Amino acid sequence: MSQVGTAAVPMPNYDDDIVRKFFGATVIWGAVGMLVGVIIALQIAWWPANLGLPWTTFGRLRPLHTNAVIFAFGGNICFTGIYYSMQRLLKVRMYSDLLSKLHFWGWQGIIVAAAITLPLGMTQSKEYAELIWPIDIAITVVWVIFAINFFGTIAIRKVKHIYVAIWFYMSFVITIAVLHIVNSLAIPATLFRSYPIFAGLTDGLVQWWYGHNAVGFFLTTPFLGLMYYFLPRAADRPVYSYRLSIVHFWGLVFLYIWAGPHHLLYSALPDWAQTLGMVFSVMLLAPSWGGMLNGLLTLRGAWDRLRTDPILKFMVVAVSFYGMSTFEGPMMSIRAVNGLAHFTNWVIGHVHSGALGWVGMMSFGTLYWLVPKLWKRELAYPKMATQHFWLATIGIVLYTVSMWVAGLMEGLQWRAVNDAGQLANPFFLDIVNRLMPYYWMRLLGGVLYLTGMVMFLFNLLKTIKGSGASVSEETHAPAPAV
Amino acid sequence: MSKDTNRLLGHADEADGIEEYDNPLPDWWLGLFWICILWAVGYTVHYHFIGNRSQEARFEAEMAAAAVRWPVQAAEDVEFAMTPEAIAGGEVVYTMYCFVCHGQNLEGGIGQSFLDDTWLHGGSPEEIVHTITNGVLEQGMAAWGTILSAEQINHAAAYVLAKNAEALGIPLEQITAGGEEGSEEGQDEGSEGGSHGSEEGSRGEEHGEGGVGS
Repeated sequence: MSQVGTAAVPMPNYDDDIVRKFFGATVIWGAVGMLVGVIIALQIAWWPANLGLPWTTFGRLRPLHTNAVIFAFGGNICFTGIYYSMQRLLKVRMYSDLLSKLHFWGWQGIIVAAAITLPLGMTQSKEYAELIWPIDIAITVVWVIFAINFFGTIAIRKVKHIYVAIWFYMSFVITIAVLHIVNSLAIPATLFRSYPIFAGLTDGLVQWWYGHNAVGFFLTTPFLGLMYYFLPRAADRPVYSYRLSIVHFWGLVFLYIWAGPHHLLYSALPDWAQTLGMVFSVMLLAPSWGGMLNGLLTLRGAWDRLRTDPILKFMVVAVSFYGMSTFEGPMMSIRAVNGLAHFTNWVIGHVHSGALGWVGMMSFGTLYWLVPKLWKRELAYPKMATQHFWLATIGIVLYTVSMWVAGLMEGLQWRAVNDAGQLANPFFLDIVNRLMPYYWMRLLGGVLYLTGMVMFLFNLLKTIKGSGASVSEETHAPAPAV
Repeated sequence: MSKDTNRLLGHADEADGIEEYDNPLPDWWLGLFWICILWAVGYTVHYHFIGNRSQEARFEAEMAAAAVRWPVQAAEDVEFAMTPEAIAGGEVVYTMYCFVCHGQNLEGGIGQSFLDDTWLHGGSPEEIVHTITNGVLEQGMAAWGTILSAEQINHAAAYVLAKNAEALGIPLEQITAGGEEGSEEGQDEGSEGGSHGSEEGSRGEEHGEGGVGS
């Protein structure tokens, strides 16, 4: 078996400058998005944190938080990983440097526009698609620029075989374009206001077809692509099963797109459509776990390194949380369970076990591996990376456990009736007051996670500035005490 | 994973050095996939074609079960009385539910005051019971008929009337007799007139709801 690595072939002139740019955007927006998350978690536990200003109330900062972590942090880390890995996997520089730059600056411009318009209260009121129509058009233009650059690079590739990570990236590029365009179709009324072309229930169904697949194709498939590239690279192990990667890829992309109606169980949606959303969600369990299995089994023979290597720690916990939340999701889409869970904090906990656990931890693992490579320096403080790992993991556990308890409590108390057949808890506020300890516990979890993010920024900044030894010297000096 | 071949596919030179094994799908994973698919088919067929279940059918079944367990006790079936027990019971209800909007001492706030002689929605016992039961949604008054029992609503009405009489210096007997100075039907047929007006009001509301529904 010929062991041909990057070093053995003549190194094409890869564009790593664009990767560094996207990396910078990732960590800056990531810190902002997580900070806003902590602020709104505080607002729920302690209302004066709304500051009494319209721009800083929960209703306006919450979409700012979701857009910042999904599209600014999540988007930029995907672009970072894609621009780095696809050039190497296809052995060719990006199709067009100009398109790469337009993609980068366009995407950051959209994020800035979102950060201005959302606190001003300009919104389409569609979850994860709040941005007003001029920004929606900008997103479409920038996405098409990215797609041309992406498929152009595939077209001029120097290899025949297309590695599994690229398939996952492709599903990301194509599906997000379709989802965004269809869900954002609207008739503009003024510069800042528009009306969706779909009405009522149809609009709701299109929205959740979009909303759920934003999770599926923005926060799942590109991150599986990152896992398929960065996990075997970091572990230096072969991928467990090529066959499993094919079967779970097609299973995932085919089944995901139908699962949206599970957000509309027990609504005016016809029963058959509710059933469709529910059974497709349940069938998603195995393809999702296929990704987890292929990740975990790739680590066979590298488990001992888990004790010492913070990068593998992050990746293993990421993949484990992926498995956990893709078990929880199908379960919550079952009619009876959804009747209890819907509209409770359990949903918030579920989203965050995916977002903090899977997306966040995978991103940290990827960047701890990638940044030293990009700047040809060893990681400045490996011990601090391990401390970051533990802070983040404890933070996620506090977050999800507190939201499970809060969600079950309110779900059960909303529906409880007394012997006379009356609501046992007629006052919504009484139930809210009982959730307070869990809101504070969630805030603590978020603060721990954000603290880890600050340590991550510090560590990477020191790495880039040159505190770590240069990699080319191949030294393995003990990490400086922290 | 006993069937693992751990045979490398040899694509590494085309995947930045990443090797892939040619391992088969894990049996238990494949089994899980098939079970989920078969369950999905079975559930769909059962729900829609064998069990003929639906959201509406489930709602009706739950409502029917509730009707057996908790037979509807219409407000009219529970007798309204201005007894000291009713007023005391009403105070308990008032201080649990009503004071938030109508004030600790009935002085009003978000809701109306009960210390003056103005009754926006009628001041007879029947009218007050009707207002509490059905609410005045456009003014923010909830329909308490779904939350409180008919007895609790009667008690609350008795308490409010008693406190109002106290504030206005009207003897309690006058209210107990059903006499209402402001009643349009006049003092003599006060009780019947009030009851008549209340029925008319509720009939009108039912009609209105029917209109919205159809």
